[in-house]
Amino acid sequence: MLDIKNLHVAVGGKEILKGLTLSIAAGEVHAIMGPNGSGKSTLAYLLAGRAGYEITQGSVTYCGEDLNTLAPEERAAKGLFLAMQYPVEIPGVTTLTFLKTALNAQYRARGEKELDAMSVLKLVRKKAEALKVSEEMLKRALNVGFSGGEKKRLEILQMALFEPKLAVLDETDSGLDIDALKLVAEGVNALRAPARAMLVITHYQRLLNFIVPDRIHVLAHGKIVAEGGKELAHELEAKGYEHIAGKAA
Amino acid sequence: MNAPVPNIFADAVDARSLPDWLGQRRADAVATLRARGVPHRRIEEWKYTDLKTALEPANDAIAATAAWSIDKVPKGVTLFDLADLSTAPEWVQKHFGRAAAAESMPAASLALARGGFALHVARNTFISDAVQASFSSGGHVRALIVLEDGAELTLIENQSAEGAFRNTGIEIVVGAKARLTHVRFAQAAAKAVQIEDVAVRVARGGLYRAHLFNAGAELSRLTLRITLKDLGANAELSGVSVLGGQLHADVTTHVYHAAGETQSVQLFKHVAGGKSRAVYQGKITVAKGADKSDSRQTAKALLLGERAEADLKPELEIFADDVKCAHGAAVGDLETDSLFYLRARGIPEQEARNMLLRAFLREAVDGIENEVIRDTIWQSVEDALPRAMVSAL
Repeated sequence: MLDIKNLHVAVGGKEILKGLTLSIAAGEVHAIMGPNGSGKSTLAYLLAGRAGYEITQGSVTYCGEDLNTLAPEERAAKGLFLAMQYPVEIPGVTTLTFLKTALNAQYRARGEKELDAMSVLKLVRKKAEALKVSEEMLKRALNVGFSGGEKKRLEILQMALFEPKLAVLDETDSGLDIDALKLVAEGVNALRAPARAMLVITHYQRLLNFIVPDRIHVLAHGKIVAEGGKELAHELEAKGYEHIAGKAA
Repeated sequence: MNAPVPNIFADAVDARSLPDWLGQRRADAVATLRARGVPHRRIEEWKYTDLKTALEPANDAIAATAAWSIDKVPKGVTLFDLADLSTAPEWVQKHFGRAAAAESMPAASLALARGGFALHVARNTFISDAVQASFSSGGHVRALIVLEDGAELTLIENQSAEGAFRNTGIEIVVGAKARLTHVRFAQAAAKAVQIEDVAVRVARGGLYRAHLFNAGAELSRLTLRITLKDLGANAELSGVSVLGGQLHADVTTHVYHAAGETQSVQLFKHVAGGKSRAVYQGKITVAKGADKSDSRQTAKALLLGERAEADLKPELEIFADDVKCAHGAAVGDLETDSLFYLRARGIPEQEARNMLLRAFLREAVDGIENEVIRDTIWQSVEDALPRAMVSAL
């Protein structure tokens, strides 16, 4: 589903990713772990299509298409979803209006039937309950005054609504206490499906106790320096990034 | 280069017979006009609005009187036509023309206008129907609104696009615990110079509330001079300007906290596209002894084109010790983070821009208590937006 080959990415003229290769098939959950500054968020933003991230070498293929040719909204409509580390606050746009606009924009782009306000509300309510996203939150301006946990729950709610093919979760665990983390992890696990791939990006092993990945990649200095099964997370936790990155170098 | 421009308003002043009570007030206004002439950009408060240059082409409205109309006078409201001042009732004699001599433009409208209207609401009278007043055609015009203690009124003012030059001078007197809601619509007037001065005095515990919608003119200037003269007087101002083409809109406010425990809140949002120019100048003065006063002022502008311009100038002058003042001003483009977030959720770029633009303006409209007024102002915003979003040719 996602094929990244020898990817070099520069931000503001500075090379951040330096030859990253990674492949994820449908139904798989992969994790990328790495210390601060290793290039984790750069990879997430690049996949979602944020401006200012330039591919200087290599390629990213998503469902057989060159991802670099697609606008962010086209990627979303084709089933790519990024749960952001820092969801943006937008005063003046209510959360529910935003969800309806986004959902229908994706349906429209795919030539599917759009939903009326009532149907959207029903759908949102159904999915919101499990994530403890309250009716009151839906009426508030998007992410404005939301706690860290509320913001992350809303990201996962969007993931549940949009039903993406490939979900990238960028530091979804950051700023969450253990209860909020469990709730978010349950939401993510509920979305694991044979047709869906996930890429979980995290600094800490903690999240991976709850979202157990099929494969772990360790990112350091813009490259994958180690790969393995879920047990790699524990090794990292015990020995630290320097040990693994050093061994690779 | 700077050829002397004639003092066109002072030159147009005629001798006319006036009732005694008005004679001195008009003489003061004429003296102001002679001394100061037509405002121009070398005067600090008119830096972004060069009226003198805009009026240079010969203009036959310099001494004319602009037309006004009022749809329906609700029961409980007294209307007096200012065309015949010889029969002016006591409340007109008491208040009319008192606040005119402080500045050139209200001085010009007082000295030159031969008409206008005055409205009066008696003590403790609540008027539920809004009064709708329109100004049209070129020339000067005056209005006076007097709310006695405890009275309540909503005034909806419409400035039409007609006429090459219009100078409106309004005086508003809000009595103790009285409440006036002043809604103002300025229609897009690409070929008109429109100047308006609103002088407001608010007595103890009274409230002056303004909701402004401005689509701009060739040159447009609204000056709100508000004096919170007694304990606990309040002013709440919100406004949106939506400009496109080569339109210009200048909203200048001066809120004077003359007494203690007075409060003022201002929230202005401007959107400027094409080659338009949005101006906000907001001065707050807290007088000595006006302790426990609270003033908040926010002005933001969003530029939709590289050739659009916004000038925001908040200014604080504080002579009291125990006051709360907060002000902020910012000119910007749409937030790139917000735009990316919406697009990453599948919302196409143009649609995302539209959402953010409306969200920006919403903030200054959503706070309007009255639903009908809120919806009407929002409709005006929607009507004006397409023009603002067209890039300049």
